[in-house]
Amino acid sequence: MNFSRIKESASSLRRTSGKKKATYAAGLLFNIFCYIILITIGYIVLYPLIYTIVTSIRTPESYLDPTRHWIPTSVYLGHYKRAIEYMEFGKSILNTVRYEMVSALLEVASCAVAAYGFARFNFKFKNIFMVILFLTILVPSPMIIIPLVTNFSHLDVLGIFGLLNKLTGIDLRLNLMGTGFTYWIPSFLGVGLRSGILIYIYIQFFKALPRELEEAAWIDGAGSFRTFLSIAVPSSGVVIITVTVFSLVWHWNDYFIASMYTVGESTLATAAAELPEIIKAHGEYGSAVTSGTLLAGTILYIVPLLIVYLFLQRGFIESVDRVGITG
Amino acid sequence: MRNKKRKGVESLKARDGLMFITPWIIGIVLFYLLPLIQSIVYSFSDVLLTADGMKISLTGISHYKYIITEHPDYTNMLTESLVSMVYQLPLIVILSMILAIMLNRDFRGRVFFRGLYFLPVIIATGIAMELIFKTTTTDISSSAPEAVAGSLFTTTDIMNFLNLPTGIADYVSNIVNNIFNLVWSCGIQIILFISGLQSIPGSLYEASHIEGATKWEQFWFVTFPMLGRITLLVVIFTMVELFTDTRNELMRHVSTLMKGGVYDQSSAMLWFYFLIVGGVIGIIMLLYNFKILKKWE
Repeated sequence: MNFSRIKESASSLRRTSGKKKATYAAGLLFNIFCYIILITIGYIVLYPLIYTIVTSIRTPESYLDPTRHWIPTSVYLGHYKRAIEYMEFGKSILNTVRYEMVSALLEVASCAVAAYGFARFNFKFKNIFMVILFLTILVPSPMIIIPLVTNFSHLDVLGIFGLLNKLTGIDLRLNLMGTGFTYWIPSFLGVGLRSGILIYIYIQFFKALPRELEEAAWIDGAGSFRTFLSIAVPSSGVVIITVTVFSLVWHWNDYFIASMYTVGESTLATAAAELPEIIKAHGEYGSAVTSGTLLAGTILYIVPLLIVYLFLQRGFIESVDRVGITG
Repeated sequence: MRNKKRKGVESLKARDGLMFITPWIIGIVLFYLLPLIQSIVYSFSDVLLTADGMKISLTGISHYKYIITEHPDYTNMLTESLVSMVYQLPLIVILSMILAIMLNRDFRGRVFFRGLYFLPVIIATGIAMELIFKTTTTDISSSAPEAVAGSLFTTTDIMNFLNLPTGIADYVSNIVNNIFNLVWSCGIQIILFISGLQSIPGSLYEASHIEGATKWEQFWFVTFPMLGRITLLVVIFTMVELFTDTRNELMRHVSTLMKGGVYDQSSAMLWFYFLIVGGVIGIIMLLYNFKILKKWE
């Protein structure tokens, strides 16, 4: 009787260890499966980039050669020279930094302020404002770009200056089109490019931040803004990195708005708006020189971003784990 | 000071809260709500550009009538945009969810793979991607079609071999042809999903493990339901993204019209398009909320 029980327990032990082995094997298989998928799709991610780099340094002759190899035998920089010339590279990069990058950083700051207000305080009509905030995420910027452009060309505060103009003939309405203010003012107020989603990410983070420290500072007599600056901001490095990366990238790549703001103002054109100039200068897609130059221009255009990304990458990859966007 | 005390900390805090969002409110009114209303007005009127701004005269729904019934391309472009949205959306959402779950695990080379998969976030949101894909695809199709996915045999061969109905075969070969595009559209969605996965409390997994759930069951009964809200966010984000995609034929047409100064008709085109997409988003959200409410009852 006793003996049979021991036997039973021994066999059950063996069974569990067999089960463990099976789960271990399954885990290993699953790991291998994951690696295969990740590498395959990683190849798909990298392929266009490698292709772009290779094509941009190929000579136009070898480009048309069907027996060409993947790795070019010689490096040809003519495409880059032409791309720099057509894009007016120095000037357009400078413009991008001056207008887009500055407004990206302004947005990082202004969105944090607005989001803190939403996350930490209760006030009248908060729900209405939240709905409007959601609307800004939902309604894409092309919907409002035309009135924005026309308003900027005759800047007016709720029609007061326009009325003054009609009554007295004094025109106080400024024309801001063709200046950097078209980029800076909305970003400064926290309603710039895709600011809705940035505010949303901030709100999620601030809500998860423990209140105790801020309340202690509040009791010690610090004002709300002081509390925000010296307690909340220093402990939100994680979310600030994420938002900064998003904001920089979106502004750098912003084509639609930039091209609307710079219609006929080529001195203002950003790099993104200049890139298609290559096609205009060269004609249609498909010809060897056009493709090479276009891809060289693209490489030049994304290299600054890639450098910034390399610097922020480590923090960014880790921050994704801790931002805590919960939808 | 005493007055403040009587009013209570709450009202003080309310005032401070308003102080924080006042700039935003000003910005929203001036640079968002006002232009939004203006653009609706434009779509219902004739806009003439003059030296002193513009002359607006209301004409009712004539622009809408024109673009829907008479415009040669509008309805075609509209259906094309909507169809491509319908078939890309589920693929992007599912693909990015799978990739996020894989990248969220603890494995060797995690930092490397994450860096790799976040790369599209940097490049793919802009004009650069459009140019890369347009040039690469025109080059490849003119020189060597086999090189597209690096495959030895073409997808049509496989489809013929499997003898599938043409509808499915077209769908699959469409996916394969657009695989670069799809994978590159997943950048931010992957980040959103990873961030959502991280916010699932670990105790849920521990509890389910003690109860004897397998990994597979954990996925379906813990991970999947907990990702509900973030999935909704990803769906909405992807729809808005696809809506404003510069590769979108309709968007391109509208932007050339805008640059040419045709404000009224282009506004009408955009608004009609947005009404459909926004309507769909609204229905999705309503359904989702309805589901949540049912769960809570």
